[in-house]
Amino acid sequence: MTPDLQYRADLTRRQFFGRSAVGIGGAALASLLGGDGLCAADAVAKAGVPQRFGGLPGVPHAAAKAKRVIYLFQNGAPSHVDLFDYKPMLRKMHGVQIPDEIVGGRRFSTMTGGQTARPCLAEITKFAQHGKSGAWVSDFLPRTAEIADQLCFVKSMHTTAVNHAPAITFFLTGAEQAGRPSMGAWLTYGLGSDTQDLPAFVVMTSVDKETSCGQIFYDFYWGSGFLPTKYQGVKFRGSGDPVLYLSNPDGMSKEVRREMLDGLAKLNQLQLDDYGDPEISTRITQYEMAYRMQTSVPELTDFSDEPQHVLDMYGPDVKRQGSYAYNCLMARRLAERGVRFVQLMHAGWDQHRNLNTQLKIQCTDVDAPSAALVKDLQQRGLLDDTLVIWGGEFGRTPFLQGSIDNTKQWGRDHHPYTFTVWMAGGGIKPGISYGASDDFGFNAVENKVHVHDFQATILHLLGIDHTRLTYKFQGRYFRLTDVHGDVVKPILA
Amino acid sequence: MIRPRCALAWIAAVWSLAQPSAAAEPVRFSRDILPILSDNCFHCHGPDPKHREADLRLDDREAAIKHGVLEPGKSAASELLRRLTTDDADERMPPPDSNRTVTPAQIELVRRWIDEGAPWGKHWAFEPPQLSPPPKVQLSAWPRNEIDAFILARLEAEKLRPAPEADKATILRRVSLDLTGLPPTPAELDAFLLDNSPEAYERAVDRLLASPRYGERWAWDWLDAARYADTNGYQGDPERTMWPWRDWVVRAINANMPYDQFTVEQLAGDLLPNATLDQKLATGFNRNHMFNGEGGRIAEETRVENVMDRTETTGTVWLGLTIGCARCHDHKFDPFTNKSYFELYAFFNNTSETGANSGGGRTGGIPPVLNIATPDEEAKLAEAEKTHHAAAAEVDKLELTLFPRAAKEPAGKSKEAAELSGNVLAALNLEAGKRSSDALREMLTTFKEPRPKYAQALAQLKKALDERDRLSRAITRVMVMDTLANPRETFMLDKGAYDKPGEKVTAAFPTGLHPAAKDLPTDRLGLARWLVDPKHPLTARVTVNRFWQSFFGVGLVKTADDFGVQSERPSHPELLDWLAVDFVRHGWDVKRLHRQIVTSAAYRQSSRVSRALWERDPENRLLARGPRFRMPSWMIRDQALAVAGLLVEKQGGPSVKPYQPEGIWEEATFGKKSYVQDHGESLYRRSLYTFWRRIVGPTTFFDVSARQVCTIKTLRTNTPLHALTTLNDITYVEAARALAEQSLKHAGGNKPEDRLAWAFRKVLLRKPTSAETAVLAATLKQMQTKYAADTEAAQKLLKVGESKRDESLAAVQHAALTAVCLTILNLDETLTKQ
Repeated sequence: MTPDLQYRADLTRRQFFGRSAVGIGGAALASLLGGDGLCAADAVAKAGVPQRFGGLPGVPHAAAKAKRVIYLFQNGAPSHVDLFDYKPMLRKMHGVQIPDEIVGGRRFSTMTGGQTARPCLAEITKFAQHGKSGAWVSDFLPRTAEIADQLCFVKSMHTTAVNHAPAITFFLTGAEQAGRPSMGAWLTYGLGSDTQDLPAFVVMTSVDKETSCGQIFYDFYWGSGFLPTKYQGVKFRGSGDPVLYLSNPDGMSKEVRREMLDGLAKLNQLQLDDYGDPEISTRITQYEMAYRMQTSVPELTDFSDEPQHVLDMYGPDVKRQGSYAYNCLMARRLAERGVRFVQLMHAGWDQHRNLNTQLKIQCTDVDAPSAALVKDLQQRGLLDDTLVIWGGEFGRTPFLQGSIDNTKQWGRDHHPYTFTVWMAGGGIKPGISYGASDDFGFNAVENKVHVHDFQATILHLLGIDHTRLTYKFQGRYFRLTDVHGDVVKPILA
Repeated sequence: MIRPRCALAWIAAVWSLAQPSAAAEPVRFSRDILPILSDNCFHCHGPDPKHREADLRLDDREAAIKHGVLEPGKSAASELLRRLTTDDADERMPPPDSNRTVTPAQIELVRRWIDEGAPWGKHWAFEPPQLSPPPKVQLSAWPRNEIDAFILARLEAEKLRPAPEADKATILRRVSLDLTGLPPTPAELDAFLLDNSPEAYERAVDRLLASPRYGERWAWDWLDAARYADTNGYQGDPERTMWPWRDWVVRAINANMPYDQFTVEQLAGDLLPNATLDQKLATGFNRNHMFNGEGGRIAEETRVENVMDRTETTGTVWLGLTIGCARCHDHKFDPFTNKSYFELYAFFNNTSETGANSGGGRTGGIPPVLNIATPDEEAKLAEAEKTHHAAAAEVDKLELTLFPRAAKEPAGKSKEAAELSGNVLAALNLEAGKRSSDALREMLTTFKEPRPKYAQALAQLKKALDERDRLSRAITRVMVMDTLANPRETFMLDKGAYDKPGEKVTAAFPTGLHPAAKDLPTDRLGLARWLVDPKHPLTARVTVNRFWQSFFGVGLVKTADDFGVQSERPSHPELLDWLAVDFVRHGWDVKRLHRQIVTSAAYRQSSRVSRALWERDPENRLLARGPRFRMPSWMIRDQALAVAGLLVEKQGGPSVKPYQPEGIWEEATFGKKSYVQDHGESLYRRSLYTFWRRIVGPTTFFDVSARQVCTIKTLRTNTPLHALTTLNDITYVEAARALAEQSLKHAGGNKPEDRLAWAFRKVLLRKPTSAETAVLAATLKQMQTKYAADTEAAQKLLKVGESKRDESLAAVQHAALTAVCLTILNLDETLTKQ
C-alpha cells in the first residue's frame, strides 16, 4: 500500500462515507476488492464512467476486447479424437499398432507407460461437419455443433505434464508445481473489480453424475500464490451457503445484524478517531462489504427472474445447485454483475477404461449448458466482451488403453502432445479452426499452441501485455507465462 | 506500478530508507550500486552464462574492466555510464522494451561511484555480520537496551521522536499475544497494574516466556515454514501421522532448545551419534512436504520433486535464498549455480523414500517412518502378519490349479484369466500377499458365484489383511529421514526434469558464503553444522529477522524470505547485524532474543499514529511508534475461545476437528473424505491442534499459509469473507454467547452498563470510554427490543454451539447480550494487536 493513496482513500472515505455506517463510498473498497487502493480516488472521481475498484494503474496496457472471462475447465481431459479432432486414419488403422515414428520416445502415465501394444483406436462415435465454417464435431455434442460458427477451435494445443494435477496447475497458473498465482488472481490483481457486491474471481465446481473419476479440485487451482490472498478465487459451494459463512447465525435476523453492524461501525469510528490508523477505516468498509455480499448473493442465486425458455436452454439440471448446468447459468449471471473471472470446473473426463460407456453421458451433461451459455451471452449482448473458453488439461491417446477385444473397457490414457480447446466471444475470431495435429491426432504439427501461448493470448484479449503484468517475489519479477508465451494473433478477431 | 502524480511521496518515503543520507558520504558498493546493477543489468549480464549477452558480465569487477565498459575513476570514459545515459534507443541500457528503468538519481550514484574508483564488494548479506557498537544518541534517557540505540539513532537522523510508552493494559495485552498467542486475563492485568516496581514488566515477560503456551504460539510460525499438515495432499489426500513431530516442536521451543541444536536435530537428528528417539523424530521436518501419489504418477518424478522441496525449503528457512531458480539455470542474481543447486540437492537425495505410494493401507505415512509402537502393539501386529501370510499362501496354492500357467508366471498370465476385467487381472498378476483390500473386494465379487471355495479363501485373505492394516494403522508412525546404505547417485537434471539426467555431482557445501570447516562430513549432519557455524553470514541474520517480523509485522529486511542480491535493503543494517552476532554469542538463545525485543523501548511504544507520521512512514519501518496490525486468524480464534472461557488447554496429541460448515471435505473429494466433527473439549483446543487437510485447509482460518510449500511470510489482507467468518462461524457466535453468560453471572451490579463493561474489559483489557458505553448500551437496548419481540429467535441464537448454556438465565437478555458480545469480538481493536 502506498502511503499517499491510502490516506487519499481514507480522506475520500470520510467525504463520501460520512460518519454513518449505512452509506458507503467506493474508495476504501478498493483495498478490499482486488486492488491495492491505487485507483480508489479515480473510481470516485470519474462519476458516470463505469467504476473500477482496485487494479494497477496503467493496466490494461491496451484497449481490451474482453472485459471478463468464463473458463469452462473440463477436468480429466476430454478425448480430442472422439470429439473435435476427426482422424479417418484411426479408423483405417483401427487395431493396428500406431507407427513408432509417430510415438517417438514420448512418455506416458504409468497406466500405459509399460504397455508395448499401442493399437490405434477409431473414434467411438460419428463425426460431421457443421455450420458455414464446416467444423468437425462429434454427434456426442449436438448443441455445441449448432454454435460451431461462434467458436474458434484450437486443435494444436500441447502441454508438458502427463498427470492431472500438474497439468491443470500448469493451465491455470503457468507452472506445474502448486504455489503460483492462478490466472484469475493475476487478472484481479491487474484489472481490479467491476463490482462492489461480489468477489472479482469466482470458482464453481461440478462432477459427472456417476463421479466416475477421482480427480480432486485442489484449492491451488484458484490460489493467489505469492500475491496477497485477497486475489484468490472465492469458491461458490455446490450445496448450502454458496459463500462460506454467508448466512447469519440461527436466531439472528437481518435487522439484528444491521443494527449490530451499525454499532460496530460507530465503535470502530471512535477507535479510528483515537488511534488514527487508516487500517481501521478499511476495517469499517470490510464489514460493510460483508453485509452487501450477504444481500447480493441470495439475489444472484435466485433464478426466479429467468424466463422458462432460457432455463430450458441450459437443460434439466439447471436448478440443481452444484450441477454443471446450474453453474453455467450462474456464470452468465456473474458476468452480468461484473465479475471478472469465472472459473467453472467439471470433472469426470478421465476415460481410461469406460470410453464406450461414459463419454456419451459426460458429453450430455456438458453439451447443452456450454452451448446455452454462449447463446445466452450473445442474446444479451455480453458475448462481445466476454471470453468463453472450453477445454481440459490435455487430450487422450489416439491409441487404446486396455484390450481391443474387451470393448466395454476401452479407454484412452492421458495425452499431452496435441489436443483441442475452443474459445468464443471476447475478441476471438469466430467460426475458425486453428492449428492441426498429424494424421493420427498424436502430435501437434501445424501452428502449435503451447499453454503459455494460450495464456498470453487470454491476457492480450483483456488488454494486458503478458510480459508486463509482473509481481516481484523473492527477488524476481514473476508473471503468469514465466519467461515464455507468444500471443496467437491469427485467432484474434 | 506507480502513477506519476502520486509517485513523489512514495519515492520519498521508500528512498529515504535506503539512500546515503548526505551527499558527502562516499557511495557504498553493496548498499548503493549492487542493487542497481542487479535489478537492471544482471538479467542479461549476470552470473548465468547461458543467458549472458555480448559476453559481458557486470557481477564481476575484473570482467567488467577487462571487457572495457568500466574505467575506475573515469566516469566520462566508462561505456557503462554512457549506455545508461544515451538518448539513442538502440544503445540505451537497460533496453527500453525490458520494462526496466534506471532513475536519474541512480545514474548519479553510478557516476559518483565510478569516479570514486568503482570499489567492489560482496552483497552485504554474504559478508559476515559485523558487531558495531550501539550508536550514540541525544535522547539518552530513552533507550532501554541496545536495540533502542540503533532505532533511536535512525529516528534522530530522520528528525523523528519515538512515541510515548504504551499504557500498561495495552502493553500487557500486546506482549501476552506476542509471546503466548493469548490475551492476559483481567486478573493478570490487575496484578500487573498493582505492581508498581520498576521490574513489573520484565517479571510479566518472564512469566510469559516460561508459560507452556509460549511453545504453542511459536510452533505455529515454524509449522508454516515446515509446510506441516495432517495429509499428503494430491489425489486421495491420505492422512499421515505427523503430530508427534509437531509436539516435538512445541516441546523444543518450550525447553528453549538453542536454535543451532534445533536446526541440527531437525535436519540430521538421525545422524547424531547414538541418536535418541526424539532426535530421529525431529527429522520429520524434512518429510512434511506434499506427496503426489496420484494414479499413473511416475514414482521417480514424485521422489525428485520431494528432494527439490527439501532443498528449497532449506534454502528459504536457513539461507534466506531463493535457490529454486537454480533448479533450471544458474541464478540470475545470486552466485548460486545450477550445479550448486544439485550439489545441495545431493544432501537430501539419499533417503530411502522411493516416490511410490508404498505406505498403502498400512499406514498413512510414506516410509521411511519412525515406529512409535508399544510392545503389545508390536506383538499383535506380528500375529496378524502371520495370519495374513498363511491366508495368502492358501490363495496362491488354489490359484496354481485354478489358473494354470508356466512356472514362475503370475496367475494373470493364465488363459483362464484372459476374460477378466482389468482390475482383477491386475490383482492376479501379483502374489496374493501383495494384493490390496480393494482388489480383493473386486475379486470376491467376480468369483463368489462361480468359485465359492476360492472366494472363501479370498475372503479369509481380505479379512486377515484388513485386520493387519487396522492394527498397523493404530500404531503411531511418523515420517522421518534415513540414509541409504548404498548412496544414490545424483545427477544434474535438465530444467529440473526427473527423466533428463546430465552431469553427475556429489554433495558439496554452497560456495561464496563461508568455507566449511575441514572436518565436516558431506552429509546432512555436515550441512546442518555448516548452517549453524557461528561464521555463517546468513543463518543468524535470517533467523533474527524472521522473529522481528513476527513482533513488528515487517522484518528489518522486508523480504524475509529473500536475503539475496535482489532482496530489499535492511531498514537498520547495523541493528540486524548486532542482533545476529549477539544471538550467536549467547548460544542461539531464542527466549533471550525474544526477551530483548519485547523489553526494548521500541517495542513498548504506543501505536497511536498522527497523520503526519503515518504519511511519513505508513509501514512503520522506522519504528517511531509501536507495532499495530491485525492478528493472524488462528490467534483471533484462540483469543475468542480464551475470553469466552471456552478454551481447553490440553497440550499435544492427535489433531482435532472443530466446527466446520458441512460438506467442505466431501465437495473437494467427491465424498471420499467426510469431515467428522469432534465434540466436547476437542472443539475448544488451541488452533495449533486443528486437523489440516492439505487440499482443503480448515475454513475457519484466513490469510494463512496453505501448508503446501514452505512459507515464512504470510501477507495480511482484508476481504469481506474474513468479516463473514468472524461474524457467522459457530466458533465466534458460541464464544459471544459464553462471554455474555459469564458477564451476566459475574459482572455484578444490575445495570446493563456493568455487564457491557465487564465483557468489554474481558476482551480488550480496558473499560469502554463513555462514548463507547453509549453506543454499546444503545445497541444492547435495540437487541433487547428485537429479541423480546421474537423469543423464538432468542432461543435459536442461544442454541448455537455445543457447549451447555445456563438455562436459568433469561433468554431474551442473554441473546441480546450475545449479539453485543459478537460485536465486541469483531471490533477492529479486538482483531488487532496494538
